[in-house]
Parts: sequence; structure tokens; C-alpha cells
Amino acid sequence: MKLGSKPGLSASAWRGLLVQAALAVLAALLVGELTGHIGVGLAAVLGALLLRQLYLLQRVLVWLQGDRVDLAPDAGGVWGDVIGLIMRLFRRKQYHKRRMRQLLRELRHSTAAIPDGVVMLNPAAEILWFNRSAGELLHLRNRGDVGLRIDNLVRRPEFVNYLREGDYRSPVVVQASDLSEQYLHFQIVPYGAGQLLLLVRDVTRQAQLEAMRKDFVANASHELRSPLTVIAGYLETLSQDEALEPGLSGPIQEMRRQALRMTAIVQDLLELSRLEAEGAVPRGEPIDIGALLAQLRDDLRSRKTLAVEVRLAAESTDRLVGEEAQIHSACANLLENAAKYTPTGGVITMRWWSDAQGGHLSVADTGIGIAPEHLPRLTERFYRVDAGRSRASGGSGLGLAIVKHVLQRHGGSLQIESEEGRGSTFSCHFPVSRLLPAA
Amino acid sequence: MEAADLTHHTSRRFNEDLERVRAKVLAMGGFVEQQLSQALTALIDGDSALGQSVASQDYKVNGMEVSIDEECSRILATRAPAAGDLRMVVATIKTITDLERIGDECERIGNIASRLANVERPADRYREVKHLGRTVQLMVHNMLDACARLDSTLALDTARQDRYVDEEYESIQRQCITFMMEDPRTIRRALEVMWVVRSLERIGDHAKNICEYIIYMVHGKDIRHTSLERVAEELKSEAARA
Repeated sequence: MKLGSKPGLSASAWRGLLVQAALAVLAALLVGELTGHIGVGLAAVLGALLLRQLYLLQRVLVWLQGDRVDLAPDAGGVWGDVIGLIMRLFRRKQYHKRRMRQLLRELRHSTAAIPDGVVMLNPAAEILWFNRSAGELLHLRNRGDVGLRIDNLVRRPEFVNYLREGDYRSPVVVQASDLSEQYLHFQIVPYGAGQLLLLVRDVTRQAQLEAMRKDFVANASHELRSPLTVIAGYLETLSQDEALEPGLSGPIQEMRRQALRMTAIVQDLLELSRLEAEGAVPRGEPIDIGALLAQLRDDLRSRKTLAVEVRLAAESTDRLVGEEAQIHSACANLLENAAKYTPTGGVITMRWWSDAQGGHLSVADTGIGIAPEHLPRLTERFYRVDAGRSRASGGSGLGLAIVKHVLQRHGGSLQIESEEGRGSTFSCHFPVSRLLPAA
Repeated sequence: MEAADLTHHTSRRFNEDLERVRAKVLAMGGFVEQQLSQALTALIDGDSALGQSVASQDYKVNGMEVSIDEECSRILATRAPAAGDLRMVVATIKTITDLERIGDECERIGNIASRLANVERPADRYREVKHLGRTVQLMVHNMLDACARLDSTLALDTARQDRYVDEEYESIQRQCITFMMEDPRTIRRALEVMWVVRSLERIGDHAKNICEYIIYMVHGKDIRHTSLERVAEELKSEAARA
């Protein structure tokens, strides 16, 4: 009889039952014949049968209460079937249990063997389990640390903020401790009912490479600046030299333009590496954005070569708290871009307003616009929408990267909307904490 | 006397409150640890901006102290904790005071670092200060670990470290005096360095105090003004009895 088949007794059990019943009836008749009282015979046989059943029931009970499953009582008939069934159920359960245990062990072995650290956390950020690498990387103890909150043991402020803010889309890289040069890469993955999987990786090498790259860019730009100044200076003198052969004046003018462009690129690179090296602006001073924009507008209007209309709408008098030189640089870059790509007769609109979300600054133009596929990559260094476009206008290719870094340092974000042929809008959003009402 | 089991509590909400306070204390500790490390880096690397940034961040430590203090008062008023819980709240209130003072000392080191950045650095690049700084940093780190794990053994070991800090403080002090006598031009710098090592020594003292609160919290035993050897013996005999 298989489990899950239709409940019922097997043929042999039926047969045994019939035989037993027949024997009982026979025995009862025999006893009745001998004593002359058929009632007494029946009662004696039924009593004996009842006692036997109770005895068997008792033995099964004792067996089930004990922990030796293999010592099943030997019984035939229905009891034998019942016992067989129980044993089968038990073996099946044991088999599954063994398989589950094996599977779990393999799973743990494999996660323990992962070179990355893995920590399982419950919704209260308490440690449920961690693998060996995590124990080594985070100095967790095998005994005692399970059940403790992870942020009590890993106390780096950057990590604690990352864990508490609950925005796990991007990972965070944190120096492991003040006493080591180790850098750890943390990524939290939510799973199940509010549980968290914390992945830890040692990225000391990458962090060192990154630091080397930044140093290299800063040093190289710095070293390039002095020779460039000399070249630009001599070209300047040469271009004003009356005695120069007329055929050379064209090339020299071109060389001068290119030298100036290189100087601009080097300057932007230096500014960018400076922005990267510094952390967030702690406080800074209150900046009158309206006045700053007005000054930029006047600068732009005073340029004779430009034939675009510049409008300014300073709707808020709130001050922005930050580093003025950087905010100025970001605004100037945005305005410069707008001026570059807006054809004659176009309009550039600058706007500064504030609401419950914070302060907003936007520069909109009616220029040639940008195709949507370029938008996500626009703030990358030296990214060109098309090769001919910006080289002709002489940009360094770093303007928007600088804008992005300035905003990041001020806790803000850059939003770009654009439609080809209609114009673009660059909006900077600053958090409320950076605003101060005008005194 | 048995080590109190502070991890379980009948009222879940209460337990959560206590756990939250503890997490806040440790977050504050983590921040102070970072302040200390940055202040020392600013001094050793002669980074004036970093020193100023450390000094200007101290208001955050003060803010954390006030917020934790309020929460502790609220727990005392509304939950009326007893035994181990009461000890924990009391120890927490004391701990944050010491943590806040450590923060103040970091602020001072940061200020001095930004001043000293303009002065020529000594030939040994503050080797002694660096070493003392590392010892104190390790003390603060272990103290916070002991607080997170409620590990009285580690707390006791850390409290003992304070003696080395004191010894080193005195030796640097003597060294500074020698420098000043040899070359009066170094007096200005040596005086500032004296302030730094004094601050580091104070941080060591505060860390030791917190370690004592941890032992008090775990064992319900006040070990202030008791020699650490006696405490160690008592804890050992207690462990043997358990």
C-alpha cells in the first residue's frame, strides 16, 4: 500500500481479518457447545480479543513514546499495517531531514568558501549568520556575535549612515578602521521579510589605484601648466610681431588659440581633481544667488559677439549656503554651455526659486538641444555629443563634470532635460538644509 | 553575583528602546573614533583644512550627546527600569558624557593641528605622538568593542592600557622639555605638542572611565577607585564560582 493511494486495507489484511473473525466465531461456538451457554462462550472470546487489542495498542503507544524506531512491536493484521505505515512515514521524514541537512551544509560550505564576506541580518540589523570571510574582514567573533547589531560592531559613520538610511541601490566604500589602510566595499541586498544580506569585499587595491589615478591627474595637470604658460606667452609675443613673415601669421594665430584651449583644459582638470580630493562642503557662507546670476548675465551681455537674449528670474531671495567660488564656477559653466549652443536670436533663461524640496537653479536655452541617448553620459569627462560640435567652440569637455562635482559636494543633484532642436534645461537641486532666508 | 543577561527582556518595546539607545551610543562612539583619527592625521600630515574640519564637526558629537541624554531621561521617567536595565541607563548617561569629552579633546587636537600646519614639522614627524595616538586609538576602539559585546574581560584589559598611555605621556613631556632647552626656537611647537599629548592622555582616561562603566553595567559592581588588579581577581573568582 502506498502513501497517498486511496485509503483502505490491503487484501492480505482483509483476509487476515476474515480469518480472525471466522476463528473467533468458531471458538465461540465451540465454547458454547462445551458449556451449553452460547452467551458465555461469546463473552469469553470477545473479551480475549479485546484484551489482545488493548495489549497491542499499549505496545504501539510504548513504541511511539520511545526513541528507538527500529524496535517496532511485532504484530500482524491491521496493527501490523498501522505500524508499517508509521515506520514508512517516519523513514520518509528522516530521509527528507537528512537531505535538507545535507543541502544546508553544502550551502553553508559554499557560502563559507566565497572569498567575499556574507552576513545575514534580520530586520533589526542583528546578525543571524556570517561566513568566514566576513568574520575575518569585520573582526566578528564566531561565538557571541550572532544576535548583536551589526552597526554596534562595525561603527564607521559612513557604514552606519548607509545602513540606517535604507537606500541600498548603490554600494559604499569605507576605510575598515583608523588603524589600517584597508578599504571595504559594502553592499546591502534586502531579501525575504525585511531581512538584509550584507556583502563585504576588500577593495584596498582598487582604492589605492583610484588614489594613484587622482594623484596622477593632479600632478600631470600641474606639471603641464608651466610649459604651457611659456608656449602661450611666446606665441602671444610672436603674433604681435610686425616683422613676421605674413605667411606665418595664420598658423601662429591657430597655435595661440590651441595653446589657450590647452590651458583651459589643464585648469579645468586641476579644478576637477581639487573637487574630487575634498569631501563635502561642511558649511560655507550664504550666497546671494540672485546677485550672482545677475552678474553673470551682465558679463554675458557685455560680450559683443553674442546675439542672444539673456533673461533672469530670481523668484526667491533665499541664500544658498556653500562655497561661493565653486557655485560661481558651476553657474558660469552652465551659462557658458547655454551661450555656446544657442544660435543668434535665441533666448537663455536663468531661474532661481525655492520650495519645500529645497532650492532650485535652472538654466534653459533655446539652442540645438541634445539627443536623449547622450543625456546619461553628458557629465562624463571629455564626453562629446558629436566630435565636430564642441571642438569647434573650444570647450574643455570638463564643464559639466565640474558642475556635477560641485553639486555633489553641496548635497545637490543635476537634472538635464533636452529636446533636439528645441533647447535644453539644466536644473540644479539643492537640499533644504542648504537654504537660509535672506537677512 | 552573576553577569547580568542584558539581551532579553519581557517587554519587547522596552527592549527595543534600550537597544536603540545602545546603538546610538555606539554610533556616537564610531563618530568620535573617526574624529580622533582625523585629528591625528591632520597633525601628522600637517593638513590644516582637515584639522579645521574636525574642529567644526564637534557640534555633531554634542548634538548626539543631548539626544541620547533626552532618550535616557525618557526611559527613566516612563519605564522606571530596575536592576540591570537601570544600570544600563545610568552607565549610558555617564558614557556619553565621557564620549563627549573625548570629542572635545579631538576638537582641541584638530585646532592645534591646523595651527601647527603652518609651522615647520619636526625631523621625527611626530613619531612619539603618532605612537601614543595609535595606543589611544586602539584603546577607544577596544572600549567600544567591549561596549558592543558587553565584554567585561576586554573592558578590563582596555582599562589597564591606560597605564601605558600615562607612562608614554610623561616620557613625551620630558622629551619636549629637552627640546625646548636645546633649541628655544622649538618652544612654540613643543608647547602645542604638549597640549596634544595632554589631550591624548585625557582621552585615555575617558576611555578607561567608560570601561569601568561597562564592568559596572555587566556585573553591577562599582570598580571606580579600586585597583584594577583587585577587580581582575574578583572577576576571576566569580567566574570560578559560576
